Amino acid sequence: MTIRPDNRLLDAPMQPLTCRRCGAGVEVRKASWHQTSVQWNADAAGTCLERRTAGPGIFPGCAALRDSIVQAALDGEIAVPEES
Amino acid sequence: MTAVEAGNDDIRRIEAEALPTRFARGWHCLGLSEKFKDGEPHTVNAFGQKLVVFQSGDGRINVLDAYCRHMGGDLSQGTIKGDEIACPFHDWRWGGDGRCKKIPYSRRVPLRARTAAWTTMDQDGLLFVWNDPEGNPPPPEVTIPRIEGATRDDWTDWVWTETIVNTNCREVVDNVVDMAHFFYVHYSFPTYFKNIFEGHVATQIMKGTGRQDTRPPAKDGEPRLLGNDSAASYHGPSFMIDDLTYHYDTMDINSVLINAHYPIDATSFVLHSGIIVQRTDKLSGPAADEMARKMSSFILKGFDQDVQIWKNKARIDNPLLCEEDGPVYQLRRWYEQFYVDVADVRPEMVERFEFELDTTRPVEAWKKEVEENLARKAAELSASTGRPA
Ligand code: FES
Ligand SMILES: [Fe+2]
Repeated sequence: MTIRPDNRLLDAPMQPLTCRRCGAGVEVRKASWHQTSVQWNADAAGTCLERRTAGPGIFPGCAALRDSIVQAALDGEIAVPEES
Repeated sequence: MTAVEAGNDDIRRIEAEALPTRFARGWHCLGLSEKFKDGEPHTVNAFGQKLVVFQSGDGRINVLDAYCRHMGGDLSQGTIKGDEIACPFHDWRWGGDGRCKKIPYSRRVPLRARTAAWTTMDQDGLLFVWNDPEGNPPPPEVTIPRIEGATRDDWTDWVWTETIVNTNCREVVDNVVDMAHFFYVHYSFPTYFKNIFEGHVATQIMKGTGRQDTRPPAKDGEPRLLGNDSAASYHGPSFMIDDLTYHYDTMDINSVLINAHYPIDATSFVLHSGIIVQRTDKLSGPAADEMARKMSSFILKGFDQDVQIWKNKARIDNPLLCEEDGPVYQLRRWYEQFYVDVADVRPEMVERFEFELDTTRPVEAWKKEVEENLARKAAELSASTGRPA
């Protein structure tokens, strides 16, 4: 099967972001203040401190990366659409 | 109010490619292993084939292609003799490794007397079979994790159900990301929703609150349901383990819910549910078993609600999503890894992806809808009794 693009990404694509703590490079998208998509790659997973030291089981996410995303959104580096 | 985008007036077409012609690589659960330990061979229709499942004298459960390579007899209608399954047609004896061990009426077994055998795993009371169109053995890193409560005395036994569903199994997998359907189809009320895909694991983290308009209110003295916490992961294409806790005003109930399936063919699958419940001071003895049974029938009802939708819906490869929908496309990108050769698994199919949904708007809309439903019910009640509610 062909993997199709998400229609939502056509208007507002993922944007690159670097974690301010560890320098991991990921892609981020925010559809609102409370919605966040994060696309990792193998490099980022190898760089992220929290990811590397996490135990087995589900890794819920990196707190430092989360903070970086919030800061980038506040600074306007990551676009957040106006609430309508 | 929903903002409506102006602009393109073209009619959007629903698109769907042909159904996949192969079946997912991965561990698939065939149900409680006990069922296959009755000394009889069992017929299982899976992966577009007929299989025979039988326990050999050494205790192992084996899975072979059901059709005997001699003259095509159905081994699942045969008899277990020692470590082999004997064909009902001419009594050829087949071992769990797929090799013909003996032909009682012949001096020797011909060359090439080998049939397809599937790798099996008997774990936590469940029988798993490894399917791989490329014929490779299961890599250890994709094994099904142990379910601690399944073998512990302070948990109930499995309450297990099996249902045949007549659609392609992608529909059931889509549920992982489909937050809104939990409100509209299953009458639950999600308040938090997040997905994480990484490697061969796809996770859904969900919190929900009690919904008064669709459940009878708790009677006096009955514990009142406040909400639930769920962390559910597909380990591979078909086996989901859900750590599910129900919060009541007087206690928490911990359970493990299994949602699993195996394909019969491209247009049907067998859907399994399993549940175990932890026994506590407040939920001990038969009360815990009763709770497990109750939860099981509740899950079955949920499956039924899904089936009603699946029966009538169109397969759609290009769903049109709003921002409050989950990551359907990214889930399908993850799911695709099981339908291509290992060498063709691309990084984006397995790289970590996180999606946290903004539930602000859905929760607002649903609160309003619940209130309206309650008000309408109250009005109907007072109209029918002639008394104000
Ligand atoms: S067909 Fe099975 S023994 Fe002949
Ligand atoms: Fe569902």
